[in-house]
Amino acid sequence: MSFVSTSTGSFFNRSLAQMAELRGAIERNRSQIATGQRLERGSDDPAAAAQLRSVARRGALAAVERENAARLGEDLGAASTELEAVTALLQRARELAVQAANTPTGSDGRQAIAFELGQLTEELFSRANAASLTGEPLFAGLSSDPAFIRDAAGNVTYAGTATSGAVPVAPGTAIERGLPGSEVFQFDLGGTPTSAFAVLGGLAAALDGGSPDPAGAALAALEGIDAALDTTNRAQTILGTRMAWTEQVQQQQADRGVTLAERRSRVGDTDVAEAIARLQQSLTALEASQAAFARVSSLSLFDALR
Amino acid sequence: MPSAIFTIGRSGLTASRLSLELTAQNIANAANPDYSRRTLTQSELVMTGNIGIGASADSLGGIRPGVVVRAESALVQRQARDASSALTAAEAEFFALREAEGALENSGLFTGLVEFEAALTQLEANPLEPALRLSALESARRMAGNFRVADSTLANARSLVQGEAAAGVLDVNELAAELAEVNRKLVSAREGTAGRAALLDARDTALRGLAEQFGIATVINDNGTADVTLDGVPPVALVTGGAVAGSVNVSLNPDGTLAFDLGGTALAPAGGAMAGRATALAEMASLQTGIDSLAASIIAIANGAQAAGVDAAGAPGGPLFSGTGAANIDLALISAEGLATAPAGSPAGSRDTANLAGLLAALGAETGPAAGTDALLLGLSSRVAALDSRREGLGVVAASAEAELLRETGVDLDTEAANLVRLQQAFEANSRVIQVATELFDTLLGLR
Repeated sequence: MSFVSTSTGSFFNRSLAQMAELRGAIERNRSQIATGQRLERGSDDPAAAAQLRSVARRGALAAVERENAARLGEDLGAASTELEAVTALLQRARELAVQAANTPTGSDGRQAIAFELGQLTEELFSRANAASLTGEPLFAGLSSDPAFIRDAAGNVTYAGTATSGAVPVAPGTAIERGLPGSEVFQFDLGGTPTSAFAVLGGLAAALDGGSPDPAGAALAALEGIDAALDTTNRAQTILGTRMAWTEQVQQQQADRGVTLAERRSRVGDTDVAEAIARLQQSLTALEASQAAFARVSSLSLFDALR
Repeated sequence: MPSAIFTIGRSGLTASRLSLELTAQNIANAANPDYSRRTLTQSELVMTGNIGIGASADSLGGIRPGVVVRAESALVQRQARDASSALTAAEAEFFALREAEGALENSGLFTGLVEFEAALTQLEANPLEPALRLSALESARRMAGNFRVADSTLANARSLVQGEAAAGVLDVNELAAELAEVNRKLVSAREGTAGRAALLDARDTALRGLAEQFGIATVINDNGTADVTLDGVPPVALVTGGAVAGSVNVSLNPDGTLAFDLGGTALAPAGGAMAGRATALAEMASLQTGIDSLAASIIAIANGAQAAGVDAAGAPGGPLFSGTGAANIDLALISAEGLATAPAGSPAGSRDTANLAGLLAALGAETGPAAGTDALLLGLSSRVAALDSRREGLGVVAASAEAELLRETGVDLDTEAANLVRLQQAFEANSRVIQVATELFDTLLGLR
């Protein structure tokens, strides 16, 4: 009996294995469509899984950086708003100083001007100590305490740090959080360091009877006020530039977010059209092979012999 | 003369009945995977009963039913065994490592680490905001938790494989005892009997069972007995004739890998499911080392950064994590205030994030833990993918070896059905012969 024969057992084994394989393919396709994920586990496609991991990491960090940038934009905006008010305030102080220097005002008038200057100094002080939305001082550099403090004699000194630290907003990009108060309210006047508070406070004191020549003192103070205005304007410009930079970074972040999403989708998402077509193909093959199996397995000589 | 016809017809009847019985036996065992198809040999019977010269030389005697022959092919059997050894080795390793892959991927090692990084990056925006500090602390806690989950799920996967190995060894010892028993019986079984064929079936079944667990080298002796040597380093004899050399034992090394010995002789299996399990456990041990060193590096980096900076109150930072590896990494810092974001020497309430930036840079460095975790996962999933395709290839080889074996030894129902018809006709024809003999006899008796 040595002729080629296909044993019955081998026929059943082969048919079962083939149908199980088709069934497995259908199951895999179905779960790809249901979850939208092409990869069930890393070993389905190790390289793609590694890419997905790095995209996920980049994506998580980018989301945080977007948040950081938005926050930074808010802080810079708040500082800029404060500086606008400070500029207006200094301009008013300048008007008052000009008025005190030029117009022959009496001591009552000078006192009124001195009073208003006092108020402006107060406002300047509170604006210099302004806080961000989250309660951190805007002009204290790295310090979380008030930027400027005033001693019993009324002298205002800067208590913050000389730098303000940077916030990472993109890979390799960090933008300075703001400007330290020392760069906004302090400046050199004729070689001596002074501050807007000292200039305004000194003028107010001079007009309030502290100086024998109030008009001359007012004239002398103009130089200081102009220097304060210059410093503030410069600070305003810097803040504006940084805000523009932040906006640009945010735009780039949005673009990069889209790129990341596209990449994630390309690497890890199911191509639904293809998956459905493949599913249909496998289903057809399975149905056909089941039908063929039923037909062939009933083709036994036992059925033919009666 | 008429009596000779009777004898011939009767022998024909016996032969066809015996063949019919064997055919029925074949059909009944068509679905029995351990059964090997049987056939009956037949030979013509010629009697030379008379002595003398010139006498009628031949006296026809009909047919003699011969012996039961079992379809056998030692070579194909061996191919099928070797193919199944290779397949079970690849499968055992694949399934074990896939378990490990699932354990590490689902424990969220990588996600936890990325979330920790993200929370720290967010803290850079405003290092003193309590909500951000708390979220950074909690993400550190979660990451430590993920490491412990990964550790315990990996240990779980490992103990599953170890359990399988222990159960497999019991199987092997039973099969070895069974084979020895079969060998003893084979020595005394008569050639050509159905009993011997059944013993040979049992022998091949035991050999197949052994080959699934260990790679084996088999010597089939002339009397049908099989001697088995376990394929390994070094090869060790398991069954020789009717004697089992010793029981196979498996024990666990401290790192969770397997140590085998046969009656006290240590061996490293070279094939079969045991070899796959041993390899998988060795890889799991290196995975364990991998996640332990990742955890240790995170602990060292975070605690080093803490020590190099000052917290919100300007005090030197305490350790962020406690523990030495993946099993016991835990958050050590009690309060979020204690995160040392500012470099040493900064005053209380400093918003300087230089120290935090240093920590982030160390975590995200090319050789840092994030890259290390990614590399670990990539290595593992590549290994699993490679094993999967190897398993598929070996599956095809094993399936075709199995098909070849079935072709040689299996039952083909169509052939058996045709045999049934043929033998039935032969039976009927033989009864006709007896009828003819009767009629001849009657004719003789009726002569007058």
